[in-house]
Amino acid sequence: MTLNQLIFRNIKKNLKHYYVYIFALVFSVGLYFSFVTLQFDPALDDATGGVKGAAAIKSGSILLIVIVSIFLLYANNLFIKRRSKEIGLFQLIGMTKGTVFRILSVENFVLYIGSLLVGIFLGFSMSRLLMIILFKVTGVTDVATLRFSLEAMLQTIVVFAVIYVLILIMNALFIKRQSILSLFSVTTVAQQRVQKVTTFQAFIGVVGILLISFGYYLSTRLFSGAILGEYLFLTMVVILASVVIGTYLFYKGSVSFIFNLIRKRKGGYLNVNDVLSLSSIMFRMKSNSFLLMIITTLSALSIALLSLSYISYYSVEKTVERTIPTDFTIPNTERAAEFTQALEKENVAYTETATDLLTSPVDLSQVLSILGEVPGDQSYSNTRMIVMSEKTVKKVDVEENEVLFINSDSVMEKFMKFQADKQVIFQGEEHSYDLTFKGVENLVILPTRITYAFPVAVVDDQVFQRMLVDKDSSFTSEFTEYHGVNINNKNQLEIANAIFNELEINVWAGHESKYEERINQKQSVGITMFIVGFLGLAFLITSGCILYFKQMDESEDEKSNYTILRKLGFTQSDLLKGIQKKQLFNFGIPLVVGLLHSYFAVKSGWFLFGTEMLTPMIIVMFIYTALYSIFGLLSVINYKRVIKDSL
Amino acid sequence: MVILQATKIYKTYGNKFNKQEVLSALDLEVNKGEFVSIMGASGSGKTTLLNVLSSIDRVSQGTISIEGQNINQMKEKQMAEFRKRHLGFIFQDYNLLDTLTVKENILLPLSVQKVAKKRANEKFHAVAEDLGIADIADKYPNEISGGQKQRTSAARAFIHDPSIIFADEPTGALDSKAASDLLNKLSELNTKRNASIVMVTHDPLAASFSERVVFIKDGQIYTQLYKGDQTRNEFFNDIIKTQGVLGGVQHDA
Repeated sequence: MTLNQLIFRNIKKNLKHYYVYIFALVFSVGLYFSFVTLQFDPALDDATGGVKGAAAIKSGSILLIVIVSIFLLYANNLFIKRRSKEIGLFQLIGMTKGTVFRILSVENFVLYIGSLLVGIFLGFSMSRLLMIILFKVTGVTDVATLRFSLEAMLQTIVVFAVIYVLILIMNALFIKRQSILSLFSVTTVAQQRVQKVTTFQAFIGVVGILLISFGYYLSTRLFSGAILGEYLFLTMVVILASVVIGTYLFYKGSVSFIFNLIRKRKGGYLNVNDVLSLSSIMFRMKSNSFLLMIITTLSALSIALLSLSYISYYSVEKTVERTIPTDFTIPNTERAAEFTQALEKENVAYTETATDLLTSPVDLSQVLSILGEVPGDQSYSNTRMIVMSEKTVKKVDVEENEVLFINSDSVMEKFMKFQADKQVIFQGEEHSYDLTFKGVENLVILPTRITYAFPVAVVDDQVFQRMLVDKDSSFTSEFTEYHGVNINNKNQLEIANAIFNELEINVWAGHESKYEERINQKQSVGITMFIVGFLGLAFLITSGCILYFKQMDESEDEKSNYTILRKLGFTQSDLLKGIQKKQLFNFGIPLVVGLLHSYFAVKSGWFLFGTEMLTPMIIVMFIYTALYSIFGLLSVINYKRVIKDSL
Repeated sequence: MVILQATKIYKTYGNKFNKQEVLSALDLEVNKGEFVSIMGASGSGKTTLLNVLSSIDRVSQGTISIEGQNINQMKEKQMAEFRKRHLGFIFQDYNLLDTLTVKENILLPLSVQKVAKKRANEKFHAVAEDLGIADIADKYPNEISGGQKQRTSAARAFIHDPSIIFADEPTGALDSKAASDLLNKLSELNTKRNASIVMVTHDPLAASFSERVVFIKDGQIYTQLYKGDQTRNEFFNDIIKTQGVLGGVQHDA
């Protein structure tokens, strides 16, 4: 038999055996190709508004390369480990390491070419689906067309050629390092790791749990007081470090420690569920702790990012509603008149609210405290604030010597704390107005652009008139008028928006169209969500696959155990029940820990992204868990087959 | 009393066109409390015989009954149930679960039968005393010697008082001291607990510990030797002679 025949036969035989590896390859290529196709699709510009989208997808694709190459290197690692006996045999019959390496390389090359072709084909068919989803989330009404991109193909080939070279290097190192003897015993090494649980491990376990709790505690305090300002970044690093290290120690010590406690209580009398789940996980989890830590941390990261981007997507409507209360904002009387006349000409019914804006110097030092700064800081003794009359605001009632704040921004609320029943002092040209602060009313009248996201003061009408007369003439502000135009029939919004743009009102600062803003927001948030979602999914699938491969490997290692147990009289279904329990832990523990991590991460800063946390977060977590469970189920099916074959 | 009866059993491998007959029309009976060895050259079918007798493999033809129950007709579930109550196993490579301690390994058969914990503990202490492994109860298999592993495996085979114990080359991986230790224990337990033992071995010394040696050649019983009133040494010499006639490996003892 010539070397070529040998290679050919090997591939034929391995195709059946290593479908996992081939699956990993095809999947990675497909994923990457479809993603890159998007990058080169001209239709993308419509969905994202030009350069921004392509750049976002490009940076996403770099992350994707990292994920995919780690995944493939890992899969190759398992692949070559399983074939160590064969490699040993080749060397035993006199092949040089170089020849063995050549055989492996050619084999890999053929597999790569095959997978590239299949993967590109799959990716090509997938890309249209992706486009449709992208259009859907960004609210673009284009029709997604199937377009084969040569650039995308070239890029895919280049990337996978690089990964191929990496894998060659890895294989070369593997072959070089191993002696013939060790090649024969590679698979048995893992089983020698059984050790007793020591007090040191218990200690590590406790430290792990403490570190995680400490990180969680810090995260809940992150935006709530003592630790802010210059320490914010430092605190974030501390949280990240303590949670990540804590997770590692948790897998290294806590899991086996807790399981050992349970086991000790049983006094040596274990039932089949315990044998298959407790004792096996106890030892495996420890040796896999690094891998599990990475998987947990990255799942936590992707769940958190998915949640946050979904939170912002989910809250686009509400956010826009809060930042631009009326359909059109025109802080200029002439242009407002021009606009309303045009509206009338087109028979668009509207309602207009107009008010003069009085910006007044104010001393807030008694009522305002900023998080992380000393209360009563003098820097707020001389700030500025828009003042409105209770008559314009309508929905509130203010006494003569009182003041209310409205238009509070949800993000600012986290940083600014107002203390009721203290004094707020407005400064006119001649008089100062000393009013008692009665609290913040949850009401939005003015757009954020005009208030600079700072609250607006509401005073009694008489006080307001006096302040207006007594206005400090040396004091100037960007906006002195405000016209809010609401279109009565929302179906005519598009026409109104067209007029708004035609008259070129939109080019002026502070002149905003809610309709336009909503579309812009949806597009930018939509593309972010799409990319994060795609990467999250890619990550979910790769980490699921890695866990699944690991379990496949483990099932082969433990096959002899199932043989023993079945000889002792355990039925297949007995064993399968134990396996189900084991998989519940194997897949469940990283998932639960990841979910917890992401919950605390999201909780600490979600308000920066949107107005609603729970619903979008739960939706994301639910979908993630459901998809992730598929891999758990697949692994149980694999175990079922192994158990069946074991006797 | 006959505890195991195999009548005209056949075992063939391969397909219609390429049949390989490993066992052909073999008859065998084992009495209660008997210690039987099965010997033969490699390829003679002795391990196949043990596998079909112990219900791990099925015969192609013929019947095997243990304690009057025909094991060929059992379903997978019944078979498992039967194995856990009536059979014990000892193997050349110990077949201990690496992730369990010695005690946990030994208690496994009782946990399959859901024996009460207290009763299980009593049984464990009794069998661990008999085999001299009480002091290593909390150790893991990779912390103990081969001889101790095989005694652990034996303890697991005996603990649930099975009707019959199958041993496949139990001394194959042991040095001669550990091997004769184990065999002494086995024959002690054989008399004490009145449990039948069927042992496959190629080692005449190991076989000389039993009461009867069955020689297999080409899937059939070639001859049988009974120990009777002989000493172990005399029996050993008999076995060697027979083996010589059989054309197996010559032993220079």
